Amino acid sequence: MDEENPRIIELRVSNHRAYVWNVDDLALLRSKHRVCGVLSGTLPHVSQQNVFLGLPLMLIPEEVVLLVEKQLAVLVDDPSAHRKPSRGALENWNTERKASVKTQLAAETRGAKEDLATSRSRSMSEDAVRKRKAREEKRAAAALAKHLAEGDIEGSSELPTPEMASLSQPPSTPQPELTSLSQATYIATVPGWGFAVASHMVQHAARAGIWSYPANAHERAKCNVFRDLWEKGHFMGGGIKFGGDFLVYPGDPLRYHSHFVASVIDSRSAPIAPMEIVAHGRLGTATKKAHLLCTWDEEKQEVSYYSVEWAGFG
Amino acid sequence: MESHPSYKALSEVLPKYPQSAGSCFQTFNDITLAQQWTDVEVIDLPVISRCAFRGRRPKMDPLLYVVPCSLAESLSVSWFNEAFEKLGKPDQVYLAINTPDSSIVYYKLTPGIVKPPV
Repeated sequence: MDEENPRIIELRVSNHRAYVWNVDDLALLRSKHRVCGVLSGTLPHVSQQNVFLGLPLMLIPEEVVLLVEKQLAVLVDDPSAHRKPSRGALENWNTERKASVKTQLAAETRGAKEDLATSRSRSMSEDAVRKRKAREEKRAAAALAKHLAEGDIEGSSELPTPEMASLSQPPSTPQPELTSLSQATYIATVPGWGFAVASHMVQHAARAGIWSYPANAHERAKCNVFRDLWEKGHFMGGGIKFGGDFLVYPGDPLRYHSHFVASVIDSRSAPIAPMEIVAHGRLGTATKKAHLLCTWDEEKQEVSYYSVEWAGFG
Repeated sequence: MESHPSYKALSEVLPKYPQSAGSCFQTFNDITLAQQWTDVEVIDLPVISRCAFRGRRPKMDPLLYVVPCSLAESLSVSWFNEAFEKLGKPDQVYLAINTPDSSIVYYKLTPGIVKPPV
């Protein structure tokens, strides 16, 4: 990767929200572009938990607009980005898949029989046998995966971005001693068939009907304030926890506390209720943050700031 | 209000701004009597129809500016800009927010992005 001109990141848009599915893109966004987003992927079996989240990374619309405007990213319409494979490509993939199933099953049966023999001779407890079996199955599967990744897939140019996925499959041999086979790991390749259109400008994406932000004066003001703070070198996060539009960090949020809660004001003449100043100012002071009133001036095309704090008396 | 001993200091400006006279009077009394500010001067601010104050907190040297307003008013960023401009662009201005029960809260407004004290 070129340090000066980093690669352009693909933001996958679905239902007017942008996601990042590549972990390298995530690292690039965070370390080079000062954009953090929010991890939103959860574990399939524990979909209720929200502590350990992973890919995809969901970006807030202001981050998306900034990245596209700065030409650091493009918008890809995800639902229509997956091309239908040609007949030949499909057949090719299917033949390879069947061959792979055969090899894996053969290896599995062989492994299981050997295992059975050794376990009987050693007269181990049933539990220990099961554990040992699982370990060996895992090893065999890993070796197969390695073999597949190096040999079979490399030769096939029909599979542009092969992804590995594990697939659980019941065994064909119904012997009672081999029930643990149903927990075995099999490997199948799921090909991705390339992508189609990418939008390099937010307006293009809006015209194509896949992106709709910013659509009004307030959203434009938010985008402009976000960009201005970003250009000053800050990191921004969501401000909901402190009643603002953004939290403003002096560096990566993993290393720094935020110094400011920012709220966006559409214009210099937009009304501000004194109660807002009290609420923002007091909460900010209690949490050792100053509140920023960020005003977008459409005429001058610039952002101005007022910092609000409790006076310390009265 | 007119018979109050502190009315004399404000008698020049208050009649001009009946809308904000209550807030100005209340704030003046608070900073001079409750907060014990010294060297308090009245500054006329026709552009936002009220007066502001300049003075020193007890045992503190810098001259501070206070602009009164009522909780029910509607302010704006241009309103802040006008106040700062007409007060000679001080580093900060205290906004004195007055409520009908005469309690007052002060909030410090600083132009620009200013880090909170550690």
